[in-house]
Amino acid sequence: MIKIKRKPFQEIVEAIQGYSNVLNVGCGGCASVCLGGGQKEVWILNEELEEYFRQQGQEKRFIAYTVERACNLDYVQELDGIAPQKAAVLVMACAAGTQLIAERYPDTPVYPAVNTVAIGVDRDIGLYEERCRACGECVIGYTGGICPVTRCAKGLFNGPCGGTNQGMCEVDDTIPCAWQEIFERLKRQNRLQDVMKIRPAMQWRNQTQRTVIQMGYEERYMQQE
Amino acid sequence: MKEMPATQDTGIDTAEIQRVLSRHKSQIKFCLAVCARCSMCAHSCFLYETRGQDPIYMPSHKMINSIGYLWKKRGKVTPRELQSIGDIVWKRCVLCMRCYCPLGVDIPFMIGLARRICREQDVYREYDRP
Repeated sequence: MIKIKRKPFQEIVEAIQGYSNVLNVGCGGCASVCLGGGQKEVWILNEELEEYFRQQGQEKRFIAYTVERACNLDYVQELDGIAPQKAAVLVMACAAGTQLIAERYPDTPVYPAVNTVAIGVDRDIGLYEERCRACGECVIGYTGGICPVTRCAKGLFNGPCGGTNQGMCEVDDTIPCAWQEIFERLKRQNRLQDVMKIRPAMQWRNQTQRTVIQMGYEERYMQQE
Repeated sequence: MKEMPATQDTGIDTAEIQRVLSRHKSQIKFCLAVCARCSMCAHSCFLYETRGQDPIYMPSHKMINSIGYLWKKRGKVTPRELQSIGDIVWKRCVLCMRCYCPLGVDIPFMIGLARRICREQDVYREYDRP
């Protein structure tokens, strides 16, 4: 799932200090699961902000509302009766959800209270590891399930760079060489031939906005020529 | 599930629950009346299919025992009952929205409504607790 992390407190303060009443929106999806922007986290942030501004001699109102999924309009529209009446909206969902909220309420300033960090796996409570950068060209079927985009510092697609040292990466010697791990995984599965085929360079399609039309829904959304 | 802290008021705001129920009265009444217990929704639920087809995972069962229960009790539920409803709508449903009803019952909407009621009473799933 998407992993988010709350922004530094002062950054949030600077964003909303000019507004007297602010709606803080949490998300019941990824943000809740990674303990970064769920109902509890919204409540905690509101308490901290109220206390901070009270000490500054400023009275501000912070309202809390957590939608089940900030990336889905069916849930975001629950805010229709609340968000437009607020001076600003703070969002503790991922950037996708934050943007959907901003799009829904274009006359209301919307600020992210979190940074969207990664698509990752849960290692333990509160501990998450990035595993995917949504490049749109998944090759992990050929690299033993290890992503060379995310795990290799150089994003190499066709083998190690030659800088591998004792199984560690030359860019950062605290992280394992992804290609060493790919080699070992494929060797274990007797599939080393999978990396012998030269793969084309990554097109980095994730550098421009993409739209996904799922299989089976083409007729619904694509214009017929 | 999040438990109400002992230092906070553990009372339920019944009036607020009733307001939410009243706002969606027509849809709730329709869904509860129309459900024929045909179990077609069950086979569209991956949780039901992978949990040994335990009836408690049937979408209709979840709907009837969450929003249906709130409706039947006119919102007058105890904190313990609300916790149980929270367990149903969070631990037995992921709102994947795959559930299919041949009679047009919007089960995900009903589950979402139950979650909304729970949230407003400060009952919600906490992912750092069992």
